Amino acid sequence: MTEEKMIVNRRDFLTSSAAALGGLIVAFNIPGNNRLLAAEVSKAAAVYAPNAFVHIAPDNTITMIINKLEMGQGVNTSMAQLIAEELECDWKLIKSVSAPVNPVYNHTMFGPLQMTGGSSALASSWDQHRKIGAGMREMLELAAAKRWGIPVAEVKAQNGFIVSARGKLSYGELAEDANKLPLPQNPKLKNSKDFKVIGHSMKRVDALGKANGTAIFGMDVRIPGMLYAVVARSHIDGGEIASYDEKAARAVSGVVDVVRFGNKVAVLAKNTYAAKTGRDALKIQFKSNKNDTFSTDEWMKHFKSLADEKGIVAENIGAVEEAMKSSKTQFTADYEFPYLAHSAMEPLNCTVNYDGKKAEIWSGHQMPTSDRDVAAKIFGLKPENVDVHTTYAGGSFGRRASKNSDYVVQACELAKIVKKPLKMVMTREDDTHAGYYRPITFHRAKVGLDEKNKLVSWDHFIVGQTVMGNSFFGDMMIKNGLESAVTEGITESHYKFKNFRVQQTIPKNDVTTLWYRSVGHTHTAYVMETMIDELAHKEKSDPLKYRQSMLSESKKHMAVLEQLKKMTGWGTKKAPKGRAWGLAVHESFGTVVGQVAEVSIVDGLPRVHQVWCSAHCGQVVNPEVAKTQLEGGIVFGITSVMHHEITFKDGLVQQGNFSEMPVVRMFDAPVVHVDFIKTTDAPTGLGEPGVPPIAPAIANAVFQLTNKRVRVLPFAKGMKV
Amino acid sequence: MKVNINGTIHNVTSSEDTPLLWVIRDELNLTGTKFGCGQAQCGACTVHMDGNPVRSCALPLKLVGEKEIVTIEGMKDKISQAVQKAWVENHVPQCGYCQIGNVMTASALLAETKKPTDTDIDNAMGGHICRCGTYQRIKAAIHQAARELA
Repeated sequence: MTEEKMIVNRRDFLTSSAAALGGLIVAFNIPGNNRLLAAEVSKAAAVYAPNAFVHIAPDNTITMIINKLEMGQGVNTSMAQLIAEELECDWKLIKSVSAPVNPVYNHTMFGPLQMTGGSSALASSWDQHRKIGAGMREMLELAAAKRWGIPVAEVKAQNGFIVSARGKLSYGELAEDANKLPLPQNPKLKNSKDFKVIGHSMKRVDALGKANGTAIFGMDVRIPGMLYAVVARSHIDGGEIASYDEKAARAVSGVVDVVRFGNKVAVLAKNTYAAKTGRDALKIQFKSNKNDTFSTDEWMKHFKSLADEKGIVAENIGAVEEAMKSSKTQFTADYEFPYLAHSAMEPLNCTVNYDGKKAEIWSGHQMPTSDRDVAAKIFGLKPENVDVHTTYAGGSFGRRASKNSDYVVQACELAKIVKKPLKMVMTREDDTHAGYYRPITFHRAKVGLDEKNKLVSWDHFIVGQTVMGNSFFGDMMIKNGLESAVTEGITESHYKFKNFRVQQTIPKNDVTTLWYRSVGHTHTAYVMETMIDELAHKEKSDPLKYRQSMLSESKKHMAVLEQLKKMTGWGTKKAPKGRAWGLAVHESFGTVVGQVAEVSIVDGLPRVHQVWCSAHCGQVVNPEVAKTQLEGGIVFGITSVMHHEITFKDGLVQQGNFSEMPVVRMFDAPVVHVDFIKTTDAPTGLGEPGVPPIAPAIANAVFQLTNKRVRVLPFAKGMKV
Repeated sequence: MKVNINGTIHNVTSSEDTPLLWVIRDELNLTGTKFGCGQAQCGACTVHMDGNPVRSCALPLKLVGEKEIVTIEGMKDKISQAVQKAWVENHVPQCGYCQIGNVMTASALLAETKKPTDTDIDNAMGGHICRCGTYQRIKAAIHQAARELA
């Protein structure tokens, strides 16, 4: 898209959105430097356009237009807090709505794309959103000063009003005047010591609607005359259809139509159940193809054999081979990690209304720009003729940032044929079978120790499927065959290694993969933190002291370890009888998180009773919401390693519903204690960093209880190996 | 067929083997009740039938008969209001998709057991899955609602 066109689009948007909201917008503004919008990934930068983000109504209601997907992480609250702090508005009068697609809402770090991910919402909006709030406040102050005919220095913003010796004027009363003023280019931001909203646990703006059933998720969108569609497809894409029983599907009460599109067949019905029953009645069969024999067991064997060959060197510190030769003893540790499905509570779905000329789509869009552009391509429409509505998402954990917009594509391809409003719904099993998994990965760590059992050399090999491949980020994130999303957490470690080499091989198959909450760190933290623990035990060092000795140059790690020590009484207190404490610390998305897990063994599996968690994540914007991210990350992380795995046999996924991939429930969830390192540094990630340390912390406790190093995941499998 | 939902008798056209969930959601457009698994494993679809929490995704319409169904939209009593308030104050919902089911079961628990213990809560809520991991806050919120109702 050209620069000029983008600006025109934005102008259109700003005008139409103001009309749609039925009130006034403050400060129509086109940023001075149009180059900010140029399609240069490396120069992505924040757009300063307050009117796109905040709307002040005559009744003083403040509408925050949130350019991130609310998928549970609290952005509709925390992003609003950034603006509200500087705007000095009345928090009680705030509401948050999801933004439409427009370049003005593009991510400030990740290129010309509107998206939510990489634990970056607050980190990437910290400067932009506060500046927006401050700029608007200064305009309102100036508008009031002009109305009173007094110097602006004599007025002050206070809780939704501009006050002076002359009285007070509400933001609603001043909005129209403020709208005509130029936008201050360098508004004054507050000192953190004066924060009244940031750093405070404002109640989530979406909480009541989510407790009383009025919150609208993608699944809840209703359009008059809408049909429900459930689709039959092969587990691994590429299988051509051999046969299906259309008559049987049409015989199901409520079924309206059966539509074949590509290698898929959809059954459309008056309700979801009829569509699902009709889909099942199709008894679709696929022609044999190369994936018919695909098995994860075989694939893992293949991975192991690749680790015997040469890989691409991702990192090389010192002289690993020479040091290994000089070492007294060596040992090799092989780790196996399965495919994992995101399994968000709201199964994937997309609602489409296409009439041949324009289209509207509804879903919990994590990458609305890509979803829109893909839809436009399918319909043969200009992107601006596709309206994207972002609803609440019933969880995502990365899945709704589908790099190929897979389920949006499925719904749009169908809508193009049907030309009637429809909602494509995946059943729980469809959602599990649809691919886009955390990649299957193999690690081999070969270490050499000296006569005192101290680490001399570490030669590491990772065989893992791509995460970023075939995505918008692929070109950025894969360099010379090296993909940091596969090695992150092993490479660029803060541990001081003298001789350390990492090699990588990325085999290909037809199973689709995707980022999964904390991406590569889901497996690299496990390997690194269990190996570090093992090395500490080998030389009979305390695991916490050992880490301190290896991390002394990283202030964040050291602060977190110290806080954990205080929280648990590590070194002076001990776990109750029959239980053990396991420790892990890991940096991801700019945040360092340390955790101590108190574990026992019940029925041959680890049982996590409580977890202490310390995080260094910069300025905490909303402490309670921040805590929930870590509490939830820990529960998510336990599920990811306890039973969860996606396995293939004869080309078919072996799991479907929750019975085949049990998740942590209330009775097996730990009590989590969270604390933060107090700092006024800019915020870093929080949605994902709580996940990586929990699995190795559990594994390190398991070692103390059983003398066993679990290297095959999930635990349900690895405890028996 | 006739079905009594939130005190109103509705004539519905869905087939009698259709699970109640889809009658509520797709025919009556009461979207507060959620679809999570379709196999009574996650609890997202919980409604009250004659005051007891049931999984509407696995309950065929023909088994409902004249029993009184209450969905989240019909939960206006003191207990459910206290539960919803406690949910907000304890920052319980994250994505929120499973929370309606949790609110329905928690409300039924508090109607039976005025002062539930941790074990009572674990037993009552064990049928619910929350992938955001809000369990300890759900527990705290139920205790708080119990205190406020005492």
